[in-house]
Amino acid sequence: MPGLTPVELPVQWEISVRPDGTGTLVFKGELDAVSTPVAWRKLERELTGIKLVGLRIDVAQLSSCDSAGLALLYHLSAGGMTPGAKVELLGLNPELKHLFQSFSTEDVQALQEHEPACSSIVDDVGEATLAWLRDLRDQVEFIGEVTLDVFASLLRPRRMRWQEVMRVFELAGVNALPIVFLLTFLIGMVIAFESAQPLAQLGAQVYVANLLGLTISRELGPVMTAIMLAGRSGSAFAAELGTMKVNEELNALQTMGLSPIRFLVVQRVVAGLLLTPILTIFAMYAGLLGGIPVLLGLGFPLRMVLYQIQSGLHFGDLAEGLSKSIIFGGIVASVSCLRGLQTGEGPRAVGESTTRSVVSSILLIILADALFAAVTFVLRK
Amino acid sequence: MSEPRKILIEARDLTVGYGERIVLERINFQVHRGEVFAILGASGSGKSTLLKHLIGLHQPVSGDVLISGASLVNAEGDERLGILRKFGVLYQGGALFGSLTAVENVRLPLDEFTELSEAAKDLIALSKLRLVGLEMAATKLPADLSGGMQKRAGIARAIVLDPCVLFLDEPSAGLDPITSAGLDALIRELAGGLGITFVMVTHELASIFSVADRVVVLDPKVRGIVAEGPPAWLRENATQPWVRQFLNREVA
Repeated sequence: MPGLTPVELPVQWEISVRPDGTGTLVFKGELDAVSTPVAWRKLERELTGIKLVGLRIDVAQLSSCDSAGLALLYHLSAGGMTPGAKVELLGLNPELKHLFQSFSTEDVQALQEHEPACSSIVDDVGEATLAWLRDLRDQVEFIGEVTLDVFASLLRPRRMRWQEVMRVFELAGVNALPIVFLLTFLIGMVIAFESAQPLAQLGAQVYVANLLGLTISRELGPVMTAIMLAGRSGSAFAAELGTMKVNEELNALQTMGLSPIRFLVVQRVVAGLLLTPILTIFAMYAGLLGGIPVLLGLGFPLRMVLYQIQSGLHFGDLAEGLSKSIIFGGIVASVSCLRGLQTGEGPRAVGESTTRSVVSSILLIILADALFAAVTFVLRK
Repeated sequence: MSEPRKILIEARDLTVGYGERIVLERINFQVHRGEVFAILGASGSGKSTLLKHLIGLHQPVSGDVLISGASLVNAEGDERLGILRKFGVLYQGGALFGSLTAVENVRLPLDEFTELSEAAKDLIALSKLRLVGLEMAATKLPADLSGGMQKRAGIARAIVLDPCVLFLDEPSAGLDPITSAGLDALIRELAGGLGITFVMVTHELASIFSVADRVVVLDPKVRGIVAEGPPAWLRENATQPWVRQFLNREVA
């Protein structure tokens, strides 16, 4: 029962079956990664219909055979295509014997049996809660430690690495000016556009300027600045400290008797506390500048727009916005540094801590903002 | 004496550097099929730079790298891919993908470049892991493997497509002497059993004397090769005294 393969394949084989149920499979040519997949499928089809009690595979005439070819020969020898038959492999190049012996069906079975451990939902919830509580404890400890070190450094200014503060100030503050300007300018425009129509229906379109002034100074100026800071600079803090941890630079600091918090975190927190209000003032101006062209386009004279903004805004509004921004700056800088210091092992850990820094910072900014809103609402009554 | 073996890799008048800075000038050497070839030199002599140019990661300032007679420097598109498929590389840290298990790392080239069935790919990947003694760690993530295990898994991945050449960057760096000796034995086995040609950059003299058939020694002062030959022969006969000192681990 000969079965010759098409001539274009670099490997050919011939199957012959004797009446006693034993057969011979003879390979010729090259059994490599290109020819093996085709040969594998064809042989599986051809051998499925034959009932064999024994099979001799002769590979003496193979001119070359790579790992893919050896995998096919191993699969055949292990009875993968002729279940129940006694299979014998003959003529294998002695140089390939060691490689052939590295194949193992037990390894494949072990791999197939391996399933990732599946924990119950109760375990998951319990573990997540514990992790959250541990994280909360770490954050409280960290904030306490940073606060102490910040005060200690401010009381002894010579101990502070001011050059590092200035470097962070430039990177996170000065370099962020264009993007903060663009973002809040566009937000100012959007607020003016979106509020103009509903207020016109109430005959109060002139109060668009008041609304713009209040929302930008109290809310959007500080919040958008803090979110930009978290995405742009907080992530950079976390990545920088995380990489330092992976490279064992933090261990080096500790073994030299230097506190990573005093040496690396305090500078970033001080810079964050100083630069956020300045960026926020800038953002407030940019937001108002974005709304003014819209109001001019609606037909209001510039003097009137400026008067409305001025009459609607009070010192308390600006103070509220700026005090928020200081808190936000502290949150972003300290949380990002904490996430950086919490970085685990390996390159993936840096990415994870960067993501965690941005998510935690934004979450805490919004939480702090909500608290501020509630407190100021009560105080204004 | 066996007949001369075929040249597999050739560095021809290779000048390499970074921007304006020339690290090595007019380098010439040939690596024969089945040979274990080591690149030696003091720190900063340009060994890793040379390796990066040999594997096509960087373009040389001038000169050429020929792999099986084909120019790697001038090749583009499919031709370049064809040359790249002829060799595997083991990077210093193993360079395993952190999100994939050991067996998935080894399987990756098979998934990308072959039409084999899933079962066949698993069978081959596991055989390579068994070959490097890591079959028990197949389902572990790289983070759960030791440095030596990561290197062995890196070798398994590098040889899964049966390359003619394997480039190794500091294979013994950071390993204990026993693991390092095990790695040397594996290199010898792969070179002898599978006929893989090895080009390795290393500092480990024990490894060099154990596995290397031939070495070239780089000298940063002359920005080139100062000695070439079998390591045991160079230890006694190198014309430059510092090469002999280097190979004899003597303090200058």
